[in-house]
Amino acid sequence: MMTLFYVVLGTLFGFILSRSGAADYNYIQGMFLFEEFQLYGIIGTAVALAAPGLWLLKRYGKTLTGKPLVVERKAGHRGNVYGGILFGIGWSITGMCPGPVLVNVGEGKLYALAALAGVLVGAALFGCSYRVLTRPFRLPPLAVGTGEG
Amino acid sequence: MPLILNGLEPIPWWLAGAGIAFVTLALLWVSSNRLGVSTGFENVCSLVVRAPYFGRDAIRGSNGWRLPLLGGLVLGGFLSAVLGGGWEPTWALGMFDTAIGWGPAGKVAWMFVGGLLIGFGTRLAGGCTSGHGIFGLSNLELPSLVSTVSFMAAGAVTTNLIYRVIV
Repeated sequence: MMTLFYVVLGTLFGFILSRSGAADYNYIQGMFLFEEFQLYGIIGTAVALAAPGLWLLKRYGKTLTGKPLVVERKAGHRGNVYGGILFGIGWSITGMCPGPVLVNVGEGKLYALAALAGVLVGAALFGCSYRVLTRPFRLPPLAVGTGEG
Repeated sequence: MPLILNGLEPIPWWLAGAGIAFVTLALLWVSSNRLGVSTGFENVCSLVVRAPYFGRDAIRGSNGWRLPLLGGLVLGGFLSAVLGGGWEPTWALGMFDTAIGWGPAGKVAWMFVGGLLIGFGTRLAGGCTSGHGIFGLSNLELPSLVSTVSFMAAGAVTTNLIYRVIV
């Protein structure tokens, strides 16, 4: 039942990303060239509406089924900057961030399969080198991780 | 500007933004989960890679919701194509084709390298556009602001280098 909920929510999210330009190479380059407002409008509206909703939900403090609603905050570390820079370069190269990589695969964009393979190998390399990266990037202990998102 | 996907006209930005806010809040209210896609790639890795990092509770305990969410994203793209003029495999890449014009082999290499940076970078950063840019900013978290500024700036520099300096 809950699995179906996650699939439906993911499908809705994917459909929106697909049809809004968020999963479109030209719109991503247009955003980074400061020529297209579309993506700034999407992210800005999402944050402007989610922020008060989130505040209200935390204040209400309960999930749909009455369980306590707790939002754990992510730790700050040097990876926020350096990882962000690496990701930004990758986003520009592919025209896709993580959600749209999957959306583009679904749309039938064949090159997105290569991007997905790269993403999975990149994530695997990161996970396998966590202990080496912990000290230089001041990362939280392995059990905590860099932050889920 | 029409989308690469079947030349469709995009939906308005305010509608897309409202939809994403709805997805974010629904996920939090119904199942108490922070929206975020990039950790899902670690969940996929945990199915095949036997490293301590992928065996930690935050990963094993979230396979049940992140993997279906990732599957839904693929399904959403597929449905979008089917309902919007038909699904057809394509190599079309918009302005990349016009300005750079590499064939399939070049695109595969280009995309794989970009993918590596996305996979490694988002996990080092602890989030991506959804986890930091949407959820983290909405929750007024400083690390998310730092990360969002970093990836937006790096993306802007890279795209400007590619399309205004190199080609």
